[in-house]
Amino acid sequence: MFDNRTTGLLLVLPAAIFAAVLFLVPVGILLSEAFTGPDGGFSFGAYVDFFSSDRNMTVFWRSLRLGLYVMLTSAVIGYAAAFCIVQLAPKSRGRIFALIILPLMISPVARTYAWLVILGRTGIVNQVIVGLGLSEDSLRLLFTETAVFIGLLQLFLPLMIISLISSMENMPRDVIPAARVLGASWFNVFFRVIIPLTREGLVVGGTLVFAGSMTAYITPAILGGSKVLMLETLLYQRVTVANDYASASVIAMILVAMSVVTNLLLKRLAKPRNRKVAIQTKKVEAMT
Amino acid sequence: MSDFVKLDKLTLAYGDVVAVPDLSFSIGKGELVALLGPSGCGKTTTMRAIAGLMAPKSGSIHIDGRDVTNLAPSKREVGLVFQSYALFPHLSVYENVAFGLKMRKASNIRERVEEAIASVGLSDFTNRLTPDLSGGQQQRVSLARSLVVEPKVLLLDEPLSNLDARLRLEMQLVLKDIQRRTGVTMIFVTHDQSEALALADRIVLMKDGVIVQEGSAEEMYNAPRTRFAADFFGFENIFPGDDGQDRAWRPGAITLGDGPFEGQIRGMSFGGDYRTYVIDTERGQIKGAVRADLPSYKEGDKVRFDLPMAQAVALDAG
Amino acid sequence: MNTSRTASWVIIGLTLLFLIGPFVVIVLAALTNGNNLAFPPEGLSLRWFIKVFTIESFRDSFVISMVLAVFGTLAALVIGVPAAYAIVRYKVPGAGAVQLIVSSPLIVPGIIVGLALLRYLVIPTGFTIFATLFLAHTALILPYAVRVVTSSMQNLRTDVEEAALILGCSRLGSFFRVVFPNIRGGILAAFILGFVTSFNQVPVSLFLSGPGVRTLPIDMLAYMETTYDPSVAALACLLAVMSVGIVFAAEKFLGFSKYV
Repeated sequence: MFDNRTTGLLLVLPAAIFAAVLFLVPVGILLSEAFTGPDGGFSFGAYVDFFSSDRNMTVFWRSLRLGLYVMLTSAVIGYAAAFCIVQLAPKSRGRIFALIILPLMISPVARTYAWLVILGRTGIVNQVIVGLGLSEDSLRLLFTETAVFIGLLQLFLPLMIISLISSMENMPRDVIPAARVLGASWFNVFFRVIIPLTREGLVVGGTLVFAGSMTAYITPAILGGSKVLMLETLLYQRVTVANDYASASVIAMILVAMSVVTNLLLKRLAKPRNRKVAIQTKKVEAMT
Repeated sequence: MSDFVKLDKLTLAYGDVVAVPDLSFSIGKGELVALLGPSGCGKTTTMRAIAGLMAPKSGSIHIDGRDVTNLAPSKREVGLVFQSYALFPHLSVYENVAFGLKMRKASNIRERVEEAIASVGLSDFTNRLTPDLSGGQQQRVSLARSLVVEPKVLLLDEPLSNLDARLRLEMQLVLKDIQRRTGVTMIFVTHDQSEALALADRIVLMKDGVIVQEGSAEEMYNAPRTRFAADFFGFENIFPGDDGQDRAWRPGAITLGDGPFEGQIRGMSFGGDYRTYVIDTERGQIKGAVRADLPSYKEGDKVRFDLPMAQAVALDAG
Repeated sequence: MNTSRTASWVIIGLTLLFLIGPFVVIVLAALTNGNNLAFPPEGLSLRWFIKVFTIESFRDSFVISMVLAVFGTLAALVIGVPAAYAIVRYKVPGAGAVQLIVSSPLIVPGIIVGLALLRYLVIPTGFTIFATLFLAHTALILPYAVRVVTSSMQNLRTDVEEAALILGCSRLGSFFRVVFPNIRGGILAAFILGFVTSFNQVPVSLFLSGPGVRTLPIDMLAYMETTYDPSVAALACLLAVMSVGIVFAAEKFLGFSKYV
């Protein structure tokens, strides 16, 4: 009945052509630009120039570093929060879950803007620091890597929590009590039962958070300014300030490559879950 | 038999995988026929082809003298009760049953729909949404929905398999009653020989897309002609005779306690009116059923038995 | 047991404080009567909320963002729903490639798309910024539309459509009478998701702004660079309330979260 390939193709074609023409073609041209030398031939010149600049390398490593920090921190907080949330009765679980995803629906500009008020010269944090006498003068918190880190963490933590909650909800029932009855300490329960069983959630959440942090624009733009540039703010700056399309194209390539790699990772690593979970379950079952 | 539904040299395939090669059979008007066979035997594929949900690679299908081979499902005047019932989840019972009539822009829709709903005993549920109904009720809605448009052929996919024992019997009676009342030709697909025996006027036994045997329920039950058919209808003991011909016995046909052969009891299962023994013998394992009021055997007991020729069914080779 | 319960609520509480606390701060900061963005606010008033509506560029960019979000999402659904239907129901040749192409807007960072469209569509062809923004937002929402509708299609069994065909429906008729009513919730959910995504979108629009054509979030960013008064805070509050309100209503009336 539904084996008519032509009909299927006709239904898919408008969307596919639209995405291809409007998306892939211009983006492809943009990316290819970095491989074009001044004479119009193929060249790695733009890459050599880009990576030999200290300023660019600083930004590159900073983006990687911040992405990594945000990912690791969100994993730690995420596990604690997700574990607590999963234990709740269904009704309050639903409510808390709604509160966790609430920020995702709100404009990132609004979300990040709040940190200006909190971390500014006369912001809450500085009021507390000065008020407690920890420092004579107010500290410069804004336009630092810390500020960007905090902003990114707040922006992306919900993704980690959601992924972890969903894979914790998919854990076979009663494996934790089963492990406890078998004499596992909470430490062992966490590292030998919970983490292996929620690996997919961790990978998915981690990838989302890492990629999101590395390719963020708004947070470094507002909280980092021109002092703490990240890849996207650097790209914007190169284009608008210097008309430096070669660098922009190289950054674009880095961002796309990152994004493609993380997406492939998501696809590859998320899939074997069922098999893994089945094996883990069997293991626990065999112990009980 | 007349050729009310006629399949001629039908070949059905999924892509390059042929599910049914060269199938031909005919069904008379008003007949209730079972397509019986294990899963993957092509029975459901055949039914879908009759409904027009699958285009045949070659061959033809005629219904009431009309070639419907290339006709859209909506033009074939068939009804199909899906195994999953396939009710429209967003519509009420009434709207589900009225659907086909509305498509046909029929007259007296309200009257006919209400009558159809009443005939399956669901008048109290007319305005319910279908996902709120029980499985048995959903099936009856599906039945009413298919019948209200007065199809020439009613197809049913595993009509009893999702029901519990009590509902099964009820549904059997409903289907028989429909056959009597409306005279509609019915073809149903099942993997369960007991369903086929209980319902069908005629059984078509299929294996790997090929008809193995067809006949009345009694013929099939008493005189299977091949090992496959014998096995399917409960002849669990099949042995080659001294003359080279295979013979088959039901467990109940075996006499225990006396006879020319000897074996050892391997295990027993108690079935209420009778006990079934698994016996290790020189010829391999046999199964024998004995009335429960007769003396019983323990595991390990030596027992004599007979395979009475009078009770044996002789099978074709192959 | 009780201590672990308390500990658990403390962890949840701190997490929520970190995630949601900043909004409370920004709401209070926006309610200030003073001229500076500060916390605690210097007296309470709604003057900054009122001021927002008098800033002309905000009004203009709000309309632009609204139009982009509504019509961009509709356009994405018009091409996305048939694609989703085909992907679920048909053996589409090269389905994997097609899905990859359709979902590529999720993979390519928006800022690059904006730059690419500016350089290779707007500049060489003279395509207007607004039309380009519209196409870019449509493409951006397309993967969401396809994904959400695909997942709501998945619950609808094929045999329900077959039943409609046998009962006399045409293919198109069975789509509108049987498929559509059953995926309406998914389509609405996709619309809301697309709307919120498009409305709050920054990177794609970053390079696609020109004289008189700017989306609201871009306008806010620009305003923040020059002016440090609480009006952006007030606007941020209003937008947050709008987004949350829409999503909350969607959840309440159609169980939004089960589709996303």
